Amino acid sequence: MSKISEYKKHLLVLILGVMVGFGPLANAGEITVYSSLEDDEIADFLKVANKDLPDIKINVLRLSTGDLGARILAEKSNPKHDVIWGWAATNMINPQIMEMLEPYKAKGSDKLASKFKDAGNKWFAATGYMAAFCVNTDRLTKKGLPMPTSWEDLLNPVYKGELIMPNPNSSGTGYLQIASILQSRGEEKGWEYLEALDSNMGQYIKSGSKPCKLTRSGEYSVGASFAFIAMKSIKEGYPLKMVLPSEGSGFELEASALMASSKNKADAKKFLDWTLSPAAAKLYAKFKAIITIPGIEPSPEAQASGLPADVSTVLFDLDFAESAKNRSRILKTWREKLER
Amino acid sequence: MSAISLSKRKFSIHPDKLLLSTLGLLVIVPLLLFLVFPILIVFLKSFQVGDGMWGLANYTSTMVEAHFWIVVGNSLWLSVIVTVISVILGFIFAYAIQRSQMPGKQFFSIMAMLPMFAPSLLQALGLVFLLGRNGIINRWLGLDIEIYGLWGVVIADVIYAFPQAFMILSAAFAVADSRPYEAARMLGASKRQIFFDVTLPSIKFGLISSIFLVFTVTITDFGNPMVIGGNFSVLATEIYNQVSGQMNFNLGSVIAIILLIPVVVAFGIERFAGRKQAAFIPDNVSPLVPVKNKMLDSCMFIYSTVICGLILLVAAIVVYASFVKLWPYNMSFTLDNYKFDSQGGYAPLLTSVIVSLMAAVIGVVLVFGSAYVVNKTKNIITDLLNFFSILPAAIPGMVLGLAYIFFFNDTSNPLNIIYGTVFILTINSVYHYYAQGFLTASTSLQQISSNFDETSACLGASLLTTIKRVTLPILLPSILSVGVFFFMRTMVTLAAVIFLVSPKVNLAAVSVMLLDDAGNTTQAAAYSTLIILVVLVALLFLNLILKIFKIKTKSLIS
Repeated sequence: MSKISEYKKHLLVLILGVMVGFGPLANAGEITVYSSLEDDEIADFLKVANKDLPDIKINVLRLSTGDLGARILAEKSNPKHDVIWGWAATNMINPQIMEMLEPYKAKGSDKLASKFKDAGNKWFAATGYMAAFCVNTDRLTKKGLPMPTSWEDLLNPVYKGELIMPNPNSSGTGYLQIASILQSRGEEKGWEYLEALDSNMGQYIKSGSKPCKLTRSGEYSVGASFAFIAMKSIKEGYPLKMVLPSEGSGFELEASALMASSKNKADAKKFLDWTLSPAAAKLYAKFKAIITIPGIEPSPEAQASGLPADVSTVLFDLDFAESAKNRSRILKTWREKLER
Repeated sequence: MSAISLSKRKFSIHPDKLLLSTLGLLVIVPLLLFLVFPILIVFLKSFQVGDGMWGLANYTSTMVEAHFWIVVGNSLWLSVIVTVISVILGFIFAYAIQRSQMPGKQFFSIMAMLPMFAPSLLQALGLVFLLGRNGIINRWLGLDIEIYGLWGVVIADVIYAFPQAFMILSAAFAVADSRPYEAARMLGASKRQIFFDVTLPSIKFGLISSIFLVFTVTITDFGNPMVIGGNFSVLATEIYNQVSGQMNFNLGSVIAIILLIPVVVAFGIERFAGRKQAAFIPDNVSPLVPVKNKMLDSCMFIYSTVICGLILLVAAIVVYASFVKLWPYNMSFTLDNYKFDSQGGYAPLLTSVIVSLMAAVIGVVLVFGSAYVVNKTKNIITDLLNFFSILPAAIPGMVLGLAYIFFFNDTSNPLNIIYGTVFILTINSVYHYYAQGFLTASTSLQQISSNFDETSACLGASLLTTIKRVTLPILLPSILSVGVFFFMRTMVTLAAVIFLVSPKVNLAAVSVMLLDDAGNTTQAAAYSTLIILVVLVALLFLNLILKIFKIKTKSLIS
């Protein structure tokens, strides 16, 4: 009953708010956070954050990495947010973004390994996501295909047309995958591999999670995607297996930062501190494949879907600065060689 | 009629001219503020090279890539195919609704509009569930049809464009004078002759408008190619690659500007060919009432059933999936998908309804105002008004959304106060779908003879009286259909508004996207189902109001 009356209250507040049109300025004690963490994660995190930071009203806007980047850059002349929370480090280190950030040493960031934070303290990453194959066991059995364990396995002609991966031009995950292949094999061998892989590729789709989503519904046998969506799909009950390629998985950091333009830096800093707090770390274990805060292991659930206790053993140590620097050159080559 | 001419002839100004000038200003000012200025920024960005430097480098670097020309070819080829199919399907459908006596017209008209108020995710999912590699058709027939690619996009785009072609053509068929038909029959013309010599010329304007519109909305759509296009790239997805994929606005703007070319060409052709058609409702009208024709009516009934059946099938399969545990692996019934674990729950749905209602009212006033002024006066200003009223069809939602940020988030702009509120979402939706509304309004107005004005003027009636007594009642079905169109589209539009929603003001379509992004496909399907339900309830409600006030219209959608 109380739930219903509370809902009515929300409704009333909403109608009133909509009628007057919300004031664009945030009040003191209120911060606006832009994030690319998944919406259900955010909902869970906020429940705890609101308890731990009762004096701060935290408003979160969630958009995918690419769309959020476009929005942040477009709003550059008059930014609306105080904090960026959980956004691809590769995008964060773009100079157009870096110049909008203010250095801040969040409480607890000294414990993070140096590769998980900016040397100038402009960003730090508490979590990350990693590339993974989603394999539909149902389709694999029907087609009589072997279970792949590595990128190299995917060259087997039996997979022809059964593979799907993201287009690196539109998807950060897609770029992450080819960047790790090019870095681990060296560019020349890397391109040779990608061209060979191309003859088996069913399609390059425009988003990073789509390969897994199409694979789980049985459209393809193997989708190169990322671990989060794979683990989630397994939990939901799809006939799916997550495979971490034996060459090492490419990964991306989910970085957080303080906006130099923030009008409420005190509260913004408190929130950033919270994202590294033990309470937050405990939540990360529930959702995240990669947790950079030392001493936190993935949840048993995550381990059951194929994640090792020590994730660092399966990661390919991607050089982010290098991959960001070469991005437009690599994508141009990709378009010339592989885009159909 | 401009403000200048108004001030020059201050003393001799006729109240009718004053009315037209006021109306003109009333539509031109917002058009400048909410469309022309924001888009101008995109235009400028396409020439921006680095910091504070200007030049053509963005254009040249885009055009030297061989890949770019493949994409141009893809876009043109796709748009031509979709235009031919959609306009033919829409033409026959509009004919069936307006010129036959088949039963169930109202039901068919609403069903035909379903793709307008079904969230795009639902359509895409429906197609994959039906025609995908693991879709129902392939599984039943044991086939291996590949949907991802050109033909997948063609099917998805036809479903998207068909209702828009239908809406305009329906407005063209709706009003007609019976006498040319009688005369032709008496002179012994065959049915074929009547069709080609009377029917077709009478809807010329609507036909041209629908061809233009379908071509343009197809070439600018990126949703369908993204989801179902496979390796088939088009210009609109290139914008997405540049802007969202690589955070490069300048190269994105280049493609956005290139996408405007078809509109400029179409506008030029129209000017060259002259767009006036003979008005088909002369002053002493005797409206055409479709006669019963068993053969025609049955054919049209079968045709409409097939078309609506296909549209319904795509949506119904997703609605069904929203009630099962795990499509297609666990088909047991559940209501769990309707417990949304995203932020906000049902609240965005209410915001969407409010925004959509506002968009419907404002949209109707503005597009009919524009169409009226453009149809009544001919000068350089109304020509420009005409051009800018159809321009939005050529602007991808993403471009419009970002242009709005650039323009309205600037603190030096007094309109900055609407940024982050429901008003910017409303206005954005109005201008995003302005062309469709404007072309439907224009088509309706084109059918009405200007003799009306002259006759009533001779009888001493003012323009205002004529509008109230004659024009509005004839236009009512059209006004309702445009209002309903704005409402439907605003309920589900996504591409532009994702750049304009704020943490406090969120929309239902964004919730669908968030649920899908987080991997909760069935919950996203459930949320989409709710949106469809809300629109259907709104339509029934509107029908009820019309009944209560005894307002008779031919059919809700035109």
